[in-house]
Amino acid sequence: MNPKNPPRASLLATSALSVLVFLAIWELVCRTGLVDPIFLPPPSAVLAKGWAMAEQGTLLGQVLASARRVMTGFLAAALVAIPLGIVLGTSTYARAAFDPLLSFLRPLPSMSWIPLSLLWFGITETQKYSIVFMGTFAPALVYVIEATRNIDPLLIRAAQNLGASRWQVMKEVILPGSLPQILSGMKVILGLAWTCVISAELVAAREGLGFLIMNGKEFFQTEVVVLGMVLISVTVLITDFVFRQIEHRVLRWQK
Amino acid sequence: MSNASMISIQGVSKHYGSFQALEQVDLDVAQGEFVVLLGASGCGKSTLLNLITGFDHPTSGRIVVNGRPVNKVDPNCGMVFQQYALFPWLTVLENVGFGLKMKGVPKARRNEVAQRFVEMVGLKGFEDRFPSALSGGMRQRVSIARVLANDPDVILLDEPFAALDAMTRQVLQDELLRIYEKSRKTIVFITHSIDEALLLSTRMLIMSARPGRVVTDIRNDLPMPRNAEVQLSPRYNELKSQIWKTVQAEVMRSLEATSH
Repeated sequence: MNPKNPPRASLLATSALSVLVFLAIWELVCRTGLVDPIFLPPPSAVLAKGWAMAEQGTLLGQVLASARRVMTGFLAAALVAIPLGIVLGTSTYARAAFDPLLSFLRPLPSMSWIPLSLLWFGITETQKYSIVFMGTFAPALVYVIEATRNIDPLLIRAAQNLGASRWQVMKEVILPGSLPQILSGMKVILGLAWTCVISAELVAAREGLGFLIMNGKEFFQTEVVVLGMVLISVTVLITDFVFRQIEHRVLRWQK
Repeated sequence: MSNASMISIQGVSKHYGSFQALEQVDLDVAQGEFVVLLGASGCGKSTLLNLITGFDHPTSGRIVVNGRPVNKVDPNCGMVFQQYALFPWLTVLENVGFGLKMKGVPKARRNEVAQRFVEMVGLKGFEDRFPSALSGGMRQRVSIARVLANDPDVILLDEPFAALDAMTRQVLQDELLRIYEKSRKTIVFITHSIDEALLLSTRMLIMSARPGRVVTDIRNDLPMPRNAEVQLSPRYNELKSQIWKTVQAEVMRSLEATSH
């Protein structure tokens, strides 16, 4: 057997074992009283709490509220950033015009938009969407511009030589040609969108996973806090998986 | 008809800063000629091709293709690149139909025309493959079909077979001859292989470097239709040694120029 290429099953078993050992140690540390459950509840308590809340029907709503905010803000940012990025990536003048604004927006963390957005929109859904949009738009735009840079200039020449206009070059060559890189950028942006939503919810919200965590902390329900964190992680993993499937479908021309 | 000038290059020079890529090139290519530009690397062959297609502009002089002065990228001069330049996200059929799509030809009609050219280059059955699933020789066939489907006045080929293995190259040379005989398009072909030039051309132009210019204009009177066997004829070897002497002198001269 090639030591560099062990079978998939044994790799999966190793991963599963590692998770179990981690959970066991965690459980043990809490059960033996080494750590006060007010600071860290055992995984069994977190699971039990999750089960109870799911049965009451108060859990799914929180997850969906956050997910809806993430998707709305993320899609809005992507829909503006992708076409704009392609134009900026191909036109030096448009780039010169936008560069100063972009350089100003880029270093601003999404958190820094929270006070303004609260002033403008109050504790509303629009405020959550705007936080995600402002937190992801500039980095998304930078990803798209970068992606258009890596197009083989020969393909652009070939397209022009076959009669493509400037607009057709953008639509038929630059967009599909930079799509792999745009999509992998968007995967990162999607993760960023989650950060934005959770931070917005931690500050001010009436529902959502961030709200769940904050609320748990207020009432010293540490298992709810941990449950919220676990749910964030799981939801991000699921969206990432879905995104990968879409990516795979769209990019079936790649080897 | 065959005397009509298809490409007219009038006193064209091209400088990049102080580097003279081309100096005072005058050249007329008649309709239906298969012209091979032959020369060592750095003699300005590719520069000349880029000027004809409109990718680049001459420093002085002018170029006229089929009666129209070239001042922007002209789809009437279809280009076949050495690196194929196929769109990796499009299938073979979509690549071949690309030019027609740009013209706004409806999909059904486009696929019909593309299908014809896919079959002409012997790729029937590969229509739905992506370029990544094709060999180098097949990719270059797609690239040739793509240009043919666009029905240009002139086909320009920039060392199209240089990246292919010897066997594949020979097959594609024969195919290109067959396509030329069938379509009677005006072709300008760049190579640094004397054999390739002799096998394909009706006329050979030998270029020299520093500054780039055309030094010899030789009519290739080997009979058409041709195939690889023409390489065994006495006339072939006669022409080959004649060209070799010129090329050798040019190569020596440019080697000396660089060593100083």
